[in-house]
Amino acid sequence: MTQDLLGRPLTGTEAQLARIYADLKTMAAREDLPPCAERNVKKALACMWQVMNGLDLAYEQLYELGV
Amino acid sequence: MANRSEYWNPKNETLTRDELRALQHYKLKHLCEWAYAKSAFHRRRWDAAAFHPDLLRTLDDIERIPFMTRAEWMDAQAEAPPFGPLLAVPPDLAVRYHTTSGTTGRTPLRVLDGMKDWEWIAEMWAYGLWGFGLRPGDIVLFAFSYGTFIGFWGAHYACEKIGCLVLSTGSATTESRVKSIIDMGVTTVCSTPTYALRMWQAAAEMGIDLARDSQVNKVIVSGEPAGSIPAVKRQLEAAWGAKVGDTAGMTEIGTIMIFECSHQPGGTHIIEDNFIEETLEHASDRRVPYGERAERVVTSFGRGFIPLIRYRTNDLVVKVPHATCACGRTGDIYEGGIQGRWDDMKLVRGTNVYPRAVESIVRECAAVDEFQILLTREGVVDEISVLIELKPGRADHWTALCERLQVDLADAHEGLRFKVSQAQPNSLPRFELKAKRLVDTRPVAEYSA
Repeated sequence: MTQDLLGRPLTGTEAQLARIYADLKTMAAREDLPPCAERNVKKALACMWQVMNGLDLAYEQLYELGV
Repeated sequence: MANRSEYWNPKNETLTRDELRALQHYKLKHLCEWAYAKSAFHRRRWDAAAFHPDLLRTLDDIERIPFMTRAEWMDAQAEAPPFGPLLAVPPDLAVRYHTTSGTTGRTPLRVLDGMKDWEWIAEMWAYGLWGFGLRPGDIVLFAFSYGTFIGFWGAHYACEKIGCLVLSTGSATTESRVKSIIDMGVTTVCSTPTYALRMWQAAAEMGIDLARDSQVNKVIVSGEPAGSIPAVKRQLEAAWGAKVGDTAGMTEIGTIMIFECSHQPGGTHIIEDNFIEETLEHASDRRVPYGERAERVVTSFGRGFIPLIRYRTNDLVVKVPHATCACGRTGDIYEGGIQGRWDDMKLVRGTNVYPRAVESIVRECAAVDEFQILLTREGVVDEISVLIELKPGRADHWTALCERLQVDLADAHEGLRFKVSQAQPNSLPRFELKAKRLVDTRPVAEYSA
Protein backbone atom coordinates (compact mmCIF):
# COMPACT_ATOMS: atom_id res chain seq x y z
CA MET A 1 0.00 0.00 0.00
CA THR A 2 1.61 3.23 -1.17
CA GLN A 3 -1.32 5.60 -1.68
CA ASP A 4 -4.30 6.81 0.33
CA LEU A 5 -7.91 6.61 -0.88
CA LEU A 6 -7.47 9.87 -2.80
CA GLY A 7 -4.37 8.61 -4.60
CA ARG A 8 -1.88 10.66 -2.61
CA PRO A 9 1.41 9.01 -1.57
CA LEU A 10 1.54 7.81 2.04
CA THR A 11 3.80 9.58 4.49
CA GLY A 12 6.17 7.45 6.51
CA THR A 13 3.88 7.69 9.53
CA GLU A 14 0.83 6.70 7.49
CA ALA A 15 2.67 3.69 6.05
CA GLN A 16 3.59 2.63 9.58
CA LEU A 17 -0.01 2.99 10.77
CA ALA A 18 -1.22 0.96 7.79
CA ARG A 19 1.19 -1.85 8.70
CA ILE A 20 -0.08 -1.90 12.29
CA TYR A 21 -3.66 -2.12 10.99
CA ALA A 22 -2.77 -4.99 8.69
CA ASP A 23 -1.04 -6.81 11.55
CA LEU A 24 -4.10 -6.35 13.79
CA LYS A 25 -6.37 -7.77 11.06
CA THR A 26 -4.10 -10.78 10.77
CA MET A 27 -4.16 -11.32 14.53
CA ALA A 28 -7.95 -10.79 14.71
CA ALA A 29 -8.45 -13.58 12.16
CA ARG A 30 -6.58 -16.12 14.27
CA GLU A 31 -8.58 -18.63 16.25
CA ASP A 32 -5.86 -19.81 18.61
CA LEU A 33 -5.56 -16.73 20.80
CA PRO A 34 -6.58 -16.81 24.45
CA PRO A 35 -9.62 -14.66 25.27
CA CYS A 36 -7.49 -11.93 26.84
CA ALA A 37 -5.58 -11.56 23.58
CA GLU A 38 -8.41 -12.16 21.12
CA ARG A 39 -10.84 -9.67 22.61
CA ASN A 40 -8.24 -6.96 23.16
CA VAL A 41 -6.89 -7.37 19.63
CA LYS A 42 -10.41 -6.91 18.30
CA LYS A 43 -10.88 -3.85 20.50
CA ALA A 44 -7.58 -2.44 19.26
CA LEU A 45 -8.58 -3.14 15.67
CA ALA A 46 -11.88 -1.29 16.17
CA CYS A 47 -9.85 1.71 17.35
CA MET A 48 -7.30 1.37 14.55
CA TRP A 49 -10.12 1.36 11.99
CA GLN A 50 -10.85 4.93 13.11
CA VAL A 51 -7.27 5.91 12.26
CA MET A 52 -7.47 4.31 8.82
CA ASN A 53 -10.86 5.89 8.12
CA GLY A 54 -9.80 9.25 9.53
CA LEU A 55 -6.60 9.46 7.50
CA ASP A 56 -8.22 8.09 4.31
CA LEU A 57 -6.03 5.00 4.37
CA ALA A 58 -8.84 2.43 4.21
CA TYR A 59 -12.61 2.23 4.33
CA GLU A 60 -14.01 -1.26 4.75
CA GLN A 61 -16.21 -3.36 7.03
CA LEU A 62 -14.68 -5.64 9.65
CA TYR A 63 -17.64 -7.73 10.77
CA GLU A 64 -16.17 -10.90 9.27
CA LEU A 65 -13.40 -10.51 11.83
CA GLY A 66 -15.96 -10.01 14.59
CA VAL A 67 -15.17 -6.28 14.83
CA MET B 1 1.97 18.08 18.67
CA ALA B 2 -1.55 16.68 18.63
CA ASN B 3 -2.65 18.74 21.61
CA ARG B 4 -1.77 21.97 19.79
CA SER B 5 -3.96 21.14 16.81
CA GLU B 6 -7.19 23.05 16.63
CA TYR B 7 -8.67 20.14 14.71
CA TRP B 8 -9.32 16.56 15.83
CA ASN B 9 -8.49 15.40 12.30
CA PRO B 10 -6.35 18.08 10.63
CA LYS B 11 -6.07 16.09 7.40
CA ASN B 12 -9.75 15.61 6.67
CA GLU B 13 -11.19 18.69 8.32
CA THR B 14 -9.24 20.84 5.87
CA LEU B 15 -9.62 18.83 2.65
CA THR B 16 -10.51 20.90 -0.40
CA ARG B 17 -14.12 20.61 -1.51
CA ASP B 18 -13.04 18.58 -4.54
CA GLU B 19 -11.08 16.19 -2.31
CA LEU B 20 -14.08 15.86 0.01
CA ARG B 21 -16.32 14.98 -2.91
CA ALA B 22 -13.84 12.39 -4.19
CA LEU B 23 -13.65 10.82 -0.73
CA GLN B 24 -17.44 10.81 -0.38
CA HIS B 25 -17.80 9.15 -3.78
CA TYR B 26 -15.33 6.40 -2.83
CA LYS B 27 -17.09 5.70 0.48
CA LEU B 28 -20.58 5.92 -1.01
CA LYS B 29 -19.77 3.30 -3.62
CA HIS B 30 -18.28 0.96 -1.03
CA LEU B 31 -21.19 1.45 1.38
CA CYS B 32 -23.79 0.84 -1.33
CA GLU B 33 -22.01 -2.31 -2.50
CA TRP B 34 -22.01 -3.50 1.11
CA ALA B 35 -25.66 -2.65 1.65
CA TYR B 36 -26.74 -4.27 -1.62
CA ALA B 37 -24.85 -7.47 -0.87
CA LYS B 38 -25.80 -7.78 2.81
CA SER B 39 -29.10 -6.02 3.54
CA ALA B 40 -32.28 -7.55 2.12
CA PHE B 41 -34.08 -4.31 2.94
CA HIS B 42 -31.87 -2.21 0.68
CA ARG B 43 -31.55 -4.80 -2.08
CA ARG B 44 -35.32 -5.19 -2.35
CA ARG B 45 -35.95 -1.45 -2.52
CA TRP B 46 -33.12 -0.78 -4.94
CA ASP B 47 -34.09 -3.60 -7.27
CA ALA B 48 -37.61 -2.20 -7.37
CA ALA B 49 -36.21 1.22 -8.29
CA ALA B 50 -33.76 -0.21 -10.85
CA PHE B 51 -30.81 1.11 -8.88
CA HIS B 52 -27.54 -0.78 -8.56
CA PRO B 53 -24.28 0.42 -6.93
CA ASP B 54 -22.51 0.08 -10.29
CA LEU B 55 -24.48 3.14 -11.39
CA LEU B 56 -22.55 5.37 -8.97
CA ARG B 57 -20.02 6.67 -11.50
CA THR B 58 -19.79 10.13 -9.93
CA LEU B 59 -20.98 11.60 -6.65
CA ASP B 60 -23.89 13.26 -8.45
CA ASP B 61 -25.22 9.77 -9.19
CA ILE B 62 -26.32 9.67 -5.56
CA GLU B 63 -29.57 11.07 -6.93
CA ARG B 64 -30.23 7.67 -8.50
CA ILE B 65 -30.55 6.08 -5.04
CA PRO B 66 -34.11 5.89 -3.71
CA PHE B 67 -34.76 7.78 -0.49
CA MET B 68 -35.07 5.86 2.77
CA THR B 69 -37.71 6.96 5.27
CA ARG B 70 -38.42 6.35 8.91
CA ALA B 71 -41.79 4.86 7.98
CA GLU B 72 -40.03 2.27 5.81
CA TRP B 73 -37.69 1.48 8.69
CA MET B 74 -40.59 0.98 11.12
CA ASP B 75 -42.51 -1.12 8.58
CA ALA B 76 -39.46 -3.31 8.03
CA GLN B 77 -39.08 -3.82 11.78
CA ALA B 78 -42.70 -4.88 12.01
CA GLU B 79 -42.22 -7.30 9.13
CA ALA B 80 -39.80 -9.46 11.13
CA PRO B 81 -39.36 -8.18 14.69
CA PRO B 82 -37.27 -7.07 16.39
CA PHE B 83 -35.02 -5.71 13.64
CA GLY B 84 -36.52 -6.74 10.34
CA PRO B 85 -34.52 -7.21 7.14
CA LEU B 86 -32.47 -4.03 7.65
CA LEU B 87 -29.53 -5.74 9.31
CA ALA B 88 -26.48 -6.30 7.15
CA VAL B 89 -24.78 -8.35 9.85
CA PRO B 90 -25.97 -11.17 12.16
CA PRO B 91 -27.18 -9.61 15.43
CA ASP B 92 -24.82 -11.74 17.52
CA LEU B 93 -21.95 -9.51 16.36
CA ALA B 94 -23.51 -6.44 17.98
CA VAL B 95 -22.13 -4.95 21.17
CA ARG B 96 -24.69 -2.16 21.65
CA TYR B 97 -28.47 -1.87 21.44
CA HIS B 98 -30.24 1.49 21.47
CA THR B 99 -33.71 2.79 20.75
CA THR B 100 -35.60 5.96 20.06
CA SER B 101 -39.32 6.66 20.25
CA GLY B 102 -41.32 5.18 17.44
CA THR B 103 -43.44 7.12 15.00
CA THR B 104 -46.53 5.13 15.90
CA GLY B 105 -47.49 3.20 19.00
CA ARG B 106 -45.26 1.52 21.51
CA THR B 107 -42.65 -0.01 19.24
CA PRO B 108 -39.37 1.91 19.35
CA LEU B 109 -36.97 2.31 16.45
CA ARG B 110 -34.17 -0.12 17.26
CA VAL B 111 -30.50 -0.01 16.30
CA LEU B 112 -27.50 -2.29 16.77
CA ASP B 113 -23.81 -1.47 16.60
CA GLY B 114 -20.70 -3.61 16.26
CA MET B 115 -17.34 -2.88 17.86
CA LYS B 116 -15.94 -0.59 15.18
CA ASP B 117 -19.32 1.16 14.81
CA TRP B 118 -19.36 1.94 18.50
CA GLU B 119 -15.82 3.32 18.36
CA TRP B 120 -16.83 5.39 15.34
CA ILE B 121 -19.76 6.85 17.26
CA ALA B 122 -17.33 8.15 19.87
CA GLU B 123 -14.98 9.28 17.11
CA MET B 124 -17.62 11.59 15.60
CA TRP B 125 -18.22 13.14 19.00
CA ALA B 126 -14.46 13.60 19.34
CA TYR B 127 -14.51 15.80 16.20
CA GLY B 128 -17.07 18.03 17.87
CA LEU B 129 -15.78 18.05 21.43
CA TRP B 130 -12.17 18.68 20.40
CA GLY B 131 -13.35 21.30 17.94
CA PHE B 132 -15.12 23.17 20.72
CA GLY B 133 -12.02 23.11 22.89
CA LEU B 134 -12.11 19.99 25.08
CA ARG B 135 -8.63 18.77 25.90
CA PRO B 136 -6.96 16.15 28.12
CA GLY B 137 -7.40 17.27 31.69
CA ASP B 138 -10.88 18.68 31.27
CA ILE B 139 -13.33 17.41 33.87
CA VAL B 140 -16.64 16.64 32.16
CA LEU B 141 -19.99 16.06 33.85
CA PHE B 142 -22.72 14.29 31.91
CA ALA B 143 -26.23 15.18 33.02
CA PHE B 144 -27.73 12.25 31.16
CA SER B 145 -29.79 9.22 32.15
CA TYR B 146 -27.63 6.52 30.44
CA GLY B 147 -30.60 4.42 29.32
CA THR B 148 -31.27 2.82 25.96
CA PHE B 149 -31.71 6.31 24.45
CA ILE B 150 -28.40 6.97 22.71
CA GLY B 151 -28.14 10.63 23.80
CA PHE B 152 -24.68 11.40 25.16
CA TRP B 153 -23.34 7.84 25.23
CA GLY B 154 -20.95 8.54 22.37
CA ALA B 155 -19.84 11.81 23.92
CA HIS B 156 -19.01 9.98 27.14
CA TYR B 157 -16.63 7.63 25.35
CA ALA B 158 -15.24 10.45 23.22
CA CYS B 159 -14.25 12.28 26.40
CA GLU B 160 -12.48 9.16 27.68
CA LYS B 161 -10.70 8.90 24.32
CA ILE B 162 -9.62 12.54 24.47
CA GLY B 163 -8.29 12.03 27.98
CA CYS B 164 -10.83 13.90 30.06
CA LEU B 165 -12.01 12.89 33.51
CA VAL B 166 -15.65 11.81 33.07
CA LEU B 167 -18.35 12.18 35.73
CA SER B 168 -21.39 10.09 34.75
CA THR B 169 -24.32 11.26 36.85
CA GLY B 170 -26.99 8.93 35.54
CA SER B 171 -29.35 8.70 38.48
CA ALA B 172 -28.28 11.81 40.38
CA THR B 173 -30.70 14.58 41.31
CA THR B 174 -30.24 18.03 39.86
CA GLU B 175 -29.03 19.31 43.22
CA SER B 176 -26.50 16.50 43.48
CA ARG B 177 -25.20 17.33 40.01
CA VAL B 178 -24.78 20.97 40.93
CA LYS B 179 -22.86 19.93 44.05
CA SER B 180 -20.58 17.67 41.97
CA ILE B 181 -19.89 20.54 39.56
CA ILE B 182 -18.61 22.64 42.44
CA ASP B 183 -16.90 19.93 44.51
CA MET B 184 -15.09 18.26 41.59
CA GLY B 185 -14.02 21.40 39.77
CA VAL B 186 -15.95 20.42 36.65
CA THR B 187 -14.84 22.39 33.56
CA THR B 188 -17.36 21.09 31.02
CA VAL B 189 -21.02 20.11 31.27
CA CYS B 190 -22.95 18.10 28.68
CA SER B 191 -26.76 18.25 28.73
CA THR B 192 -29.78 19.39 26.81
CA PRO B 193 -30.15 23.20 26.68
CA THR B 194 -33.29 22.96 28.77
CA TYR B 195 -31.58 20.96 31.47
CA ALA B 196 -28.60 23.32 31.50
CA LEU B 197 -31.05 26.09 32.39
CA ARG B 198 -32.67 23.84 34.99
CA MET B 199 -29.31 23.18 36.66
CA TRP B 200 -28.60 26.91 36.74
CA GLN B 201 -32.01 27.52 38.32
CA ALA B 202 -31.46 24.77 40.91
CA ALA B 203 -28.01 26.15 41.70
CA ALA B 204 -29.48 29.60 42.33
CA GLU B 205 -32.00 28.05 44.74
CA MET B 206 -29.04 26.45 46.53
CA GLY B 207 -27.33 29.83 46.83
CA ILE B 208 -24.78 28.98 44.12
CA ASP B 209 -23.93 31.30 41.24
CA LEU B 210 -22.52 28.93 38.63
CA ALA B 211 -20.90 31.76 36.67
CA ARG B 212 -19.05 32.89 39.79
CA ASP B 213 -18.65 29.76 41.88
CA SER B 214 -17.94 27.03 39.33
CA GLN B 215 -14.98 26.36 37.04
CA VAL B 216 -17.20 25.45 34.10
CA ASN B 217 -15.99 27.18 30.93
CA LYS B 218 -17.77 25.03 28.32
CA VAL B 219 -21.34 23.76 28.13
CA ILE B 220 -21.98 21.27 25.31
CA VAL B 221 -25.64 20.95 24.42
CA SER B 222 -27.55 18.54 22.23
CA GLY B 223 -31.00 17.05 21.79
CA GLU B 224 -32.95 20.27 21.19
CA PRO B 225 -32.71 23.13 18.67
CA ALA B 226 -32.31 25.68 21.46
CA GLY B 227 -28.52 25.38 21.53
CA SER B 228 -28.29 27.51 18.40
CA ILE B 229 -31.08 29.95 19.20
CA PRO B 230 -29.22 33.19 19.96
CA ALA B 231 -31.48 34.28 22.82
CA VAL B 232 -31.20 30.92 24.57
CA LYS B 233 -27.46 30.74 23.97
CA ARG B 234 -26.96 34.22 25.42
CA GLN B 235 -29.03 33.27 28.45
CA LEU B 236 -27.08 30.06 28.98
CA GLU B 237 -23.69 31.70 28.51
CA ALA B 238 -24.56 34.43 31.00
CA ALA B 239 -25.97 31.93 33.50
CA TRP B 240 -22.95 29.64 33.40
CA GLY B 241 -20.23 32.19 32.61
CA ALA B 242 -19.15 29.69 29.93
CA LYS B 243 -19.15 29.21 26.19
CA VAL B 244 -22.08 27.15 24.94
CA GLY B 245 -21.51 24.83 21.98
CA ASP B 246 -24.30 23.24 19.98
CA THR B 247 -24.23 19.71 18.53
CA ALA B 248 -26.88 17.56 16.87
CA GLY B 249 -27.21 13.91 16.04
CA MET B 250 -29.82 11.21 15.72
CA THR B 251 -30.29 7.64 16.87
CA GLU B 252 -30.54 6.50 13.26
CA ILE B 253 -26.85 7.31 12.80
CA GLY B 254 -25.89 6.81 16.46
CA THR B 255 -23.89 9.98 16.89
CA ILE B 256 -23.54 13.62 15.92
CA MET B 257 -23.12 14.74 12.34
CA ILE B 258 -22.70 18.46 13.06
CA PHE B 259 -20.97 20.52 15.74
CA GLU B 260 -20.25 24.10 16.61
CA CYS B 261 -16.53 24.89 16.65
CA SER B 262 -14.82 27.17 19.16
CA HIS B 263 -15.13 30.10 16.73
CA GLN B 264 -18.90 29.94 17.28
CA PRO B 265 -19.92 31.01 13.75
CA GLY B 266 -23.64 30.90 14.52
CA GLY B 267 -23.96 27.43 13.10
CA THR B 268 -22.65 23.91 13.10
CA HIS B 269 -20.03 22.35 10.81
CA ILE B 270 -20.98 19.15 8.98
CA ILE B 271 -18.50 16.27 9.44
CA GLU B 272 -18.34 15.75 5.71
CA ASP B 273 -15.65 13.09 5.54
CA ASN B 274 -18.10 10.80 7.37
CA PHE B 275 -21.47 12.00 6.11
CA ILE B 276 -23.10 13.23 2.95
CA GLU B 277 -25.66 15.86 3.91
CA GLU B 278 -27.91 16.73 0.99
CA THR B 279 -30.22 19.70 1.36
CA LEU B 280 -33.40 19.20 -0.64
CA GLU B 281 -36.75 20.86 -0.98
CA HIS B 282 -39.07 19.20 1.51
CA ALA B 283 -41.11 16.37 0.01
CA SER B 284 -39.34 16.60 -3.35
CA ASP B 285 -35.89 15.80 -4.68
CA ARG B 286 -34.94 19.29 -5.84
CA ARG B 287 -31.59 20.47 -4.54
CA VAL B 288 -31.78 23.71 -2.59
CA PRO B 289 -29.02 26.34 -2.96
CA TYR B 290 -27.03 27.75 -0.06
CA GLY B 291 -29.02 30.00 2.24
CA GLU B 292 -32.46 28.51 1.65
CA ARG B 293 -34.57 26.45 4.02
CA ALA B 294 -34.32 22.78 3.21
CA GLU B 295 -34.79 19.25 4.51
CA ARG B 296 -31.56 17.46 5.33
CA VAL B 297 -31.11 14.03 3.76
CA VAL B 298 -28.26 12.07 5.31
CA THR B 299 -25.98 9.27 4.22
CA SER B 300 -23.78 7.94 7.00
CA PHE B 301 -20.49 6.15 6.41
CA GLY B 302 -20.20 4.85 9.97
CA ARG B 303 -22.65 2.18 11.00
CA GLY B 304 -22.40 -0.83 8.71
CA PHE B 305 -24.87 -2.86 10.76
CA ILE B 306 -27.82 -0.84 9.48
CA PRO B 307 -26.61 1.14 6.47
CA LEU B 308 -28.26 4.56 6.37
CA ILE B 309 -28.31 5.84 2.80
CA ARG B 310 -30.25 8.89 1.59
CA TYR B 311 -32.37 8.97 4.73
CA ARG B 312 -35.01 11.71 4.79
CA THR B 313 -34.75 13.25 8.23
CA ASN B 314 -37.54 15.87 8.17
CA ASP B 315 -35.05 18.19 9.90
CA LEU B 316 -35.27 21.80 8.77
CA VAL B 317 -31.87 23.34 7.97
CA VAL B 318 -30.23 26.22 6.11
CA LYS B 319 -26.82 25.29 4.67
CA VAL B 320 -24.20 27.99 4.17
CA PRO B 321 -20.61 27.72 2.85
CA HIS B 322 -17.78 26.68 5.17
CA ALA B 323 -16.06 30.04 4.60
CA THR B 324 -18.77 31.59 6.78
CA CYS B 325 -16.55 30.47 9.65
CA ALA B 326 -12.93 31.56 10.05
CA CYS B 327 -11.76 28.33 11.68
CA GLY B 328 -10.39 26.84 8.45
CA ARG B 329 -12.57 23.75 8.42
CA THR B 330 -13.92 22.98 4.97
CA GLY B 331 -17.07 21.25 6.14
CA ASP B 332 -20.12 23.36 5.26
CA ILE B 333 -22.29 24.82 7.99
CA TYR B 334 -25.91 24.56 9.04
CA GLU B 335 -26.74 28.11 10.02
CA GLY B 336 -28.51 27.98 13.37
CA GLY B 337 -27.97 24.20 13.63
CA ILE B 338 -31.13 22.14 13.25
CA GLN B 339 -33.78 24.85 13.10
CA GLY B 340 -36.89 22.70 13.43
CA ARG B 341 -38.97 19.97 11.83
CA TRP B 342 -40.94 19.61 8.64
CA ASP B 343 -43.21 16.97 10.19
CA ASP B 344 -45.26 16.87 13.38
CA MET B 345 -42.54 15.40 15.61
CA LYS B 346 -41.92 17.40 18.79
CA LEU B 347 -38.85 17.47 20.97
CA VAL B 348 -39.52 17.45 24.70
CA ARG B 349 -36.46 17.55 26.95
CA GLY B 350 -34.44 15.86 24.20
CA THR B 351 -36.95 13.09 23.51
CA ASN B 352 -38.80 12.67 20.20
CA VAL B 353 -42.57 12.69 20.57
CA TYR B 354 -44.87 11.83 17.68
CA PRO B 355 -48.54 12.73 18.32
CA ARG B 356 -49.57 9.57 16.45
CA ALA B 357 -47.63 7.40 18.89
CA VAL B 358 -49.24 9.08 21.90
CA GLU B 359 -52.67 8.70 20.34
CA SER B 360 -52.24 5.01 19.68
CA ILE B 361 -51.41 4.41 23.35
CA VAL B 362 -54.22 6.62 24.67
CA ARG B 363 -56.74 4.97 22.35
CA GLU B 364 -55.95 1.55 23.80
CA CYS B 365 -57.95 2.67 26.84
CA ALA B 366 -61.60 2.03 26.06
CA ALA B 367 -62.77 4.52 28.71
CA VAL B 368 -61.21 7.49 26.89
CA ASP B 369 -63.67 9.67 25.03
CA GLU B 370 -61.42 12.53 23.88
CA PHE B 371 -57.91 13.72 24.66
CA GLN B 372 -55.45 16.54 24.07
CA ILE B 373 -51.65 16.70 24.21
CA LEU B 374 -50.39 19.95 25.71
CA LEU B 375 -46.78 21.17 25.50
CA THR B 376 -45.87 23.99 27.87
CA ARG B 377 -42.81 25.66 29.27
CA GLU B 378 -42.82 25.86 33.04
CA GLY B 379 -40.00 28.15 34.13
CA VAL B 380 -37.16 26.88 31.98
CA VAL B 381 -38.37 23.31 31.55
CA ASP B 382 -40.59 21.88 28.83
CA GLU B 383 -43.51 19.80 30.08
CA ILE B 384 -45.85 17.43 28.27
CA SER B 385 -49.37 16.79 29.53
CA VAL B 386 -52.17 14.61 28.30
CA LEU B 387 -55.69 15.73 29.16
CA ILE B 388 -58.25 12.93 29.15
CA GLU B 389 -62.01 13.12 28.88
CA LEU B 390 -63.66 9.91 30.04
CA LYS B 391 -66.74 8.43 28.47
CA PRO B 392 -69.94 8.94 30.50
CA GLY B 393 -70.20 6.54 33.41
CA ARG B 394 -66.49 5.64 33.40
CA ALA B 395 -65.30 7.98 36.16
CA ASP B 396 -64.51 5.06 38.45
CA HIS B 397 -61.86 3.92 35.93
CA TRP B 398 -59.82 7.10 36.32
CA THR B 399 -57.23 6.18 38.94
CA ALA B 400 -56.17 2.93 37.25
CA LEU B 401 -56.29 4.48 33.79
CA CYS B 402 -54.17 7.45 34.83
CA GLU B 403 -51.50 5.24 36.38
CA ARG B 404 -51.44 2.95 33.36
CA LEU B 405 -51.12 5.81 30.88
CA GLN B 406 -48.26 7.41 32.82
CA VAL B 407 -46.34 4.14 32.75
CA ASP B 408 -47.12 3.25 29.13
CA LEU B 409 -46.36 6.71 27.75
CA ALA B 410 -43.07 6.88 29.65
CA ASP B 411 -42.10 3.38 28.52
CA ALA B 412 -42.65 4.33 24.88
CA HIS B 413 -40.63 7.55 25.22
CA GLU B 414 -37.34 6.68 26.93
CA GLY B 415 -38.78 7.38 30.37
CA LEU B 416 -40.07 10.86 29.55
CA ARG B 417 -42.47 11.98 32.30
CA PHE B 418 -46.01 12.72 31.05
CA LYS B 419 -48.50 14.55 33.26
CA VAL B 420 -51.86 12.85 32.82
CA SER B 421 -54.91 14.68 34.08
CA GLN B 422 -58.67 14.48 33.75
CA ALA B 423 -60.62 17.06 31.73
CA GLN B 424 -64.23 18.01 32.37
CA PRO B 425 -66.82 16.32 30.16
CA ASN B 426 -67.15 18.03 26.76
CA SER B 427 -64.41 20.54 27.56
CA LEU B 428 -61.96 19.39 24.86
CA PRO B 429 -62.43 20.33 21.21
CA ARG B 430 -64.00 17.83 18.83
CA PHE B 431 -62.94 17.49 15.21
CA GLU B 432 -64.90 16.50 12.16
CA LEU B 433 -62.02 16.46 9.70
CA LYS B 434 -58.28 16.68 10.36
CA ALA B 435 -57.93 16.51 14.11
CA LYS B 436 -55.41 18.73 15.90
CA ARG B 437 -55.04 17.22 19.32
CA LEU B 438 -51.62 18.68 20.05
CA VAL B 439 -51.31 22.19 21.43
CA ASP B 440 -47.80 23.61 21.75
CA THR B 441 -47.70 26.81 23.80
CA ARG B 442 -43.92 26.98 24.11
CA PRO B 443 -42.25 30.16 22.85
CA VAL B 444 -41.38 30.01 19.16
CA ALA B 445 -37.66 29.77 18.36
CA GLU B 446 -36.08 32.92 16.94
CA TYR B 447 -32.95 32.29 14.91
CA SER B 448 -31.99 35.84 14.05
CA ALA B 449 -29.52 37.24 16.56
